[in-house]
Amino acid sequence: MSDFTKKKTERTLMIKKDPVLFSVLVAVWLSFAIFIFLPLVKLLLVTFFVDGKLSFANLSNILGRPYNVRALYGSLILATAVSFAGTFLGYMFALAVTRTSLPKPLKWLLSAVTILPLISPPFTSSISLTLALGPNGMLLKAFGIENLNIYGFLGTWISETLTYFPVAFMVITAILSTMTANLDDAALSLGASTRRMFRTITIPLSYPGIGNSFLLLFGASLADFATPLILGGHTFPVLPTEAYLLITGMFDIKGGSTLSFLLLVPALVVFLIQRALIGKKSYVSVTGKNGARSDFARLPKELSVIITIVCTFVVALILYLYFIILWGSLVKVWSVNNSFTLDHYRYVFAHGKKAITDTLTIALYSTVLGSLLAVVIGYVSQRKKFFGQRFFEFSSMLNYALPGTVVGIAYIIAFNERPILLTGTMSILVAAYVFRYYATGIRSVIASLQQIDPALEEASLSLGAGSVRTFTHVTIPLIIPAVLAGMRYIFIHCMTAISATIFLVSVRWTLLTTRILESMTELQFSQASAFSIVLIIIVFAADALMLFLLRLSTSKFNRPQETSYAIVSA
Amino acid sequence: MPSSALELRNVSKVFKKDRDEVRAVDSVNLTVEQGEMVTFLGPSGCGKTTTLRMIAGFELPTGGTITIQGRDMTNTPVNKREIGFVFQNYALFPHMTVFNNVAYGLKSRGEKDAAIKPKVLAALALVGLKNTENRYPSQLSGGEQQRVALARVIVMEPTLLLMDEPLSNLDAKLRIHMRTEIRRIQKKLGITCLYVTHDQAEALTMADRIVVMNKGKVEQVGSPFEIYSNPQSLFVADFIGQANIIKLTVEAVVGNDIRALLPGGRTFTARGLRPEGKGADIYKVGGKAALIARPESLTVLSADDPNGNAPATVVSEVFVGSHIEYEVELEDHSVLKAFTPFQAGMRVFGEDEKVSIWIDPSNVLFLPESST
Ligand SMILES: Nc1ncnc2c1ncn2[C@@H]1O[C@H](COP(=O)(O)OP(=O)(O)OP(=O)(O)O)[C@@H](O)[C@H]1O
Ligand SMILES: [Mg+2]
Repeated sequence: MSDFTKKKTERTLMIKKDPVLFSVLVAVWLSFAIFIFLPLVKLLLVTFFVDGKLSFANLSNILGRPYNVRALYGSLILATAVSFAGTFLGYMFALAVTRTSLPKPLKWLLSAVTILPLISPPFTSSISLTLALGPNGMLLKAFGIENLNIYGFLGTWISETLTYFPVAFMVITAILSTMTANLDDAALSLGASTRRMFRTITIPLSYPGIGNSFLLLFGASLADFATPLILGGHTFPVLPTEAYLLITGMFDIKGGSTLSFLLLVPALVVFLIQRALIGKKSYVSVTGKNGARSDFARLPKELSVIITIVCTFVVALILYLYFIILWGSLVKVWSVNNSFTLDHYRYVFAHGKKAITDTLTIALYSTVLGSLLAVVIGYVSQRKKFFGQRFFEFSSMLNYALPGTVVGIAYIIAFNERPILLTGTMSILVAAYVFRYYATGIRSVIASLQQIDPALEEASLSLGAGSVRTFTHVTIPLIIPAVLAGMRYIFIHCMTAISATIFLVSVRWTLLTTRILESMTELQFSQASAFSIVLIIIVFAADALMLFLLRLSTSKFNRPQETSYAIVSA
Repeated sequence: MPSSALELRNVSKVFKKDRDEVRAVDSVNLTVEQGEMVTFLGPSGCGKTTTLRMIAGFELPTGGTITIQGRDMTNTPVNKREIGFVFQNYALFPHMTVFNNVAYGLKSRGEKDAAIKPKVLAALALVGLKNTENRYPSQLSGGEQQRVALARVIVMEPTLLLMDEPLSNLDAKLRIHMRTEIRRIQKKLGITCLYVTHDQAEALTMADRIVVMNKGKVEQVGSPFEIYSNPQSLFVADFIGQANIIKLTVEAVVGNDIRALLPGGRTFTARGLRPEGKGADIYKVGGKAALIARPESLTVLSADDPNGNAPATVVSEVFVGSHIEYEVELEDHSVLKAFTPFQAGMRVFGEDEKVSIWIDPSNVLFLPESST
């Protein structure tokens, strides 16, 4: 009882003490309620309420059909296989970049090639795999292989692994490069062989990265909708595509939402495990005052050989696949008439202009709104103390953690009727993007705030500046690089998203990614390739612009060789 | 009557860590007068930073009141307190030039650009940093950054200047230079200043008064001389200047003086201190008392010297230039430090040599044994 009144006075105090924080919190919670909780609750209602009564009829109905059960297993098996393969590839690439003596340009090439899948629309590798290994495929012809069936588990697995291993690469590289070489030196000086050192030092220390990468890839594959749609075929159903087909093909909202509930459960489990792991992580801030830094020890010989083979093969494959897309967009009819033409691009700019401008408009709106919200949420959850803080942070990430298909279906259910009728508008697309992809912005802002000593803000307060002035004059300029970095990813995500938005597009608002999908389903591979190339170029250009701004924003006060002093913790 | 610059009344701070409660600051009382330089000294984790942060307003006290110049500021936000805070790691804004760093507070206050410029330049000149105003903090050395931090604060003419180990990131030589510099500026401007440090020499040389803290409580407040020569508790005696603490049996209490038995059979008489709040009869004949003796108050003599108070054996002997640092063992196996000033031609005793020690009765005192 007394505890309750104490809490209450604390809260009333907050209105008086920090009215800005209070109103910000109210506004953000309200937006969470509308754009995160309402859709989710509606989805659960549709799944578990039949004729106004709690019922498992939908669930047993769906699980009663063997095809759906196969889709459930298919999703889980695929996700497991992709996490294994992707994490393995990511580890190999990360070792190549952080632990080998490859020349700088080669390392740069490795990193650059892994960027390609990250910024490409989701179909890219599916399209080119089809062109290379599908019926009439180039590679098949070249090697005289007759009856390889790319459609099904194999093709989906290869394509998703190639698409998602860059995530593993980034996560593991980050952890490998923060280890200090002193540990290697210590192990070797204690008489360990390089092989033993690798087994007992490097691998155990990278467990957090491996674990995190595994979870990320599991979630990504579970949610992936585009790849299985093109490469899965009838023999290998997975949940997101089944849900999509049920809803768009048979208008079965109940069935679709029940399937997406099945998808939601493992995704949420993965998310919760990840949060529990990261919660325990202690952040090591780079102080730069490490004294003499020695180089990492060489890798064992056999391992270097394996890494070289794997990386060369994968890089060659990726470059080849992108070359196919480019090639495919420039020839008359794929593998039938190989004469050069720009017709497909003419088609894209004639009939796809609306899609291009629509996509850009929506992506720009979402990027701006998303990063504004990300700054507010990141700042509040890193620097302020308030009631329900952990739940606040958790809620903000929820839409990002859930597969896009789930979010898309939840959005059409929730915003299809008054009072919040949004279907067919741009707002529904922007809202879906903002509340999903601002997550990368939030993470980036939080990470950057963790590196900035709170003493800087305290110094500003003690010099008489109010909390708003402190925020605009001290905090914002310092986190601008992080905000721009976050914007980069939000923009890329918005340009290439498909799984949630496929449910939300309308005649009035179309997207490049859905145009690619349409071309694919009409078997217009060349047009699909041309659309993809245009999309990749736009994203690349925008990314380069953001990078330029990022450089500009940090060059002024950062002496590259000494960035240490602002980071020492209080 | 003018009110004092700062008054702390029963100020406490309790941190909750998960389920545990940490009493970081425990009922601290302190009055600081206008223009005073007060240093806080104490072992790590004793609550110095927390006390300072509560005075600044970065933390709110769990209990008690904080009065600055007669106004109750216990719950006033930082930016309304008109205090200046100098951080251990400077906390200069890395994205602003030196000029803009120093001008920051004046601009927040809404002063005109024309008025700001001369003030900033004067403050920079005061700390000896002319012609650096267009540089960024990352282009300055550690000592220069520290001076910018100081200039940024004094340009505001704060009623109270708070510094938390401002010199601990500097090398020894610069530290000594900066502490005279800070003291000079503080005196010149007549600012009231609270200063946290780990460095005893810094505390002793800079302060008008020293606050010794232990486990969240104030152990003793006094001038450097008082703290050094009249420690009110064994903790203070031990913490400041590494005094020898010798537990002895009381033979007689004569007025203020205590006579006690030394190892080796002789007796020794010195003043007995009666810390405030304890009863008058804290020394009992037959009970124990602690003799507090600074190393400088012990002299090592040859074993047959008639002035010797107690026989001892030399454990180690180090010549450090101005004096010789001995460690000697008494017959009850307690080990004492004794610093003997070096004079040409004096006798130096080697390891394991039998000696006797002389204790200067005017420079030592007794404390009740239980006053830790
Ligand atoms: N924000 C906090 N949350 C929980 N406990 C804290 C917090 N800040 C300080 N403490 C605890 O309060 C006690 C006093 O800390 P404080 O920083 O005041 O010590 P200090 O005297 O400044 O030490 P040092 O000389 O090492 O700087 C410590 O036990 C510390 O662990
Ligand atoms: Mg401290």
